[in-house]
Amino acid sequence: MDVVCCPLDKADLELDVDERDDEEILAGTLTCTECGETYPIEDGIPNLLPPDMREEAAA
Amino acid sequence: MTGDDPADPVDTDDPESGLAERRGLDETVVYQPAEDSGLLAEAAVAEAHGRVLEVGTGSGWVAQQIADERGLAVVGSDLNPHAARQARERGVEGVVADLLSPFRADAFDTVCFNPPYLPTDPDNEWDDWMEHALSGGESGRELIEPFLDDVGRALAPGGVVLLLVSSLTGYDEVLTLAEDAGFAADPVVEESFPFETLTVVALRRA
Repeated sequence: MDVVCCPLDKADLELDVDERDDEEILAGTLTCTECGETYPIEDGIPNLLPPDMREEAAA
Repeated sequence: MTGDDPADPVDTDDPESGLAERRGLDETVVYQPAEDSGLLAEAAVAEAHGRVLEVGTGSGWVAQQIADERGLAVVGSDLNPHAARQARERGVEGVVADLLSPFRADAFDTVCFNPPYLPTDPDNEWDDWMEHALSGGESGRELIEPFLDDVGRALAPGGVVLLLVSSLTGYDEVLTLAEDAGFAADPVVEESFPFETLTVVALRRA
């Protein structure tokens, strides 16, 4: 998905794929090339919440 | 994160998904399509072009209408991971996000938003997913303001924002915020209900 960036500093994200199904990425990690923050992809859905909101949303 | 055609039917036969069980859950934690959704879909199907983002997609129903009716690629984002998952089940590209924060500059030609807009007394905030889907804070504009502040960044040149505005939230107040953010507003569709009038406005750079 070329439309996303790091929510904190808007820098590029680097994709590491853990699980792929045809052309779809099911699991993996997006890492900010600037600040190093990581964002998970689970069940095909990237979670791009800033880290502080991610904790809250998991509840 | 999908290369799928958004119009593809969703696989509902996965025995491991526990779909029925999750559907039950999703109805209580994800905002389901209502009159406002129908109005936004009507406007969006008419006005959308290019790459489309629906912010606060909820069940993903509006995003799915745009994808199905117009054959456009649609991304649906929501703060609520249950909503992002439900949108994905409809063939929409789901992302968990806070408004527009993880989207690149100029990434979308069309951005749709049916915001949580009900003015809510702070003493009555009930703090669950449905509150996030409905409450616009004390003014009803607490999500609309940051959205309008940032949407110009994610919107490509020539892009359009389709924003649902309720009279409960203050039509004139919202339009003033849009103007302050550099947009000119045109009403696309409007419908009156017993307690509110809903309008979808198209915002384009002034």
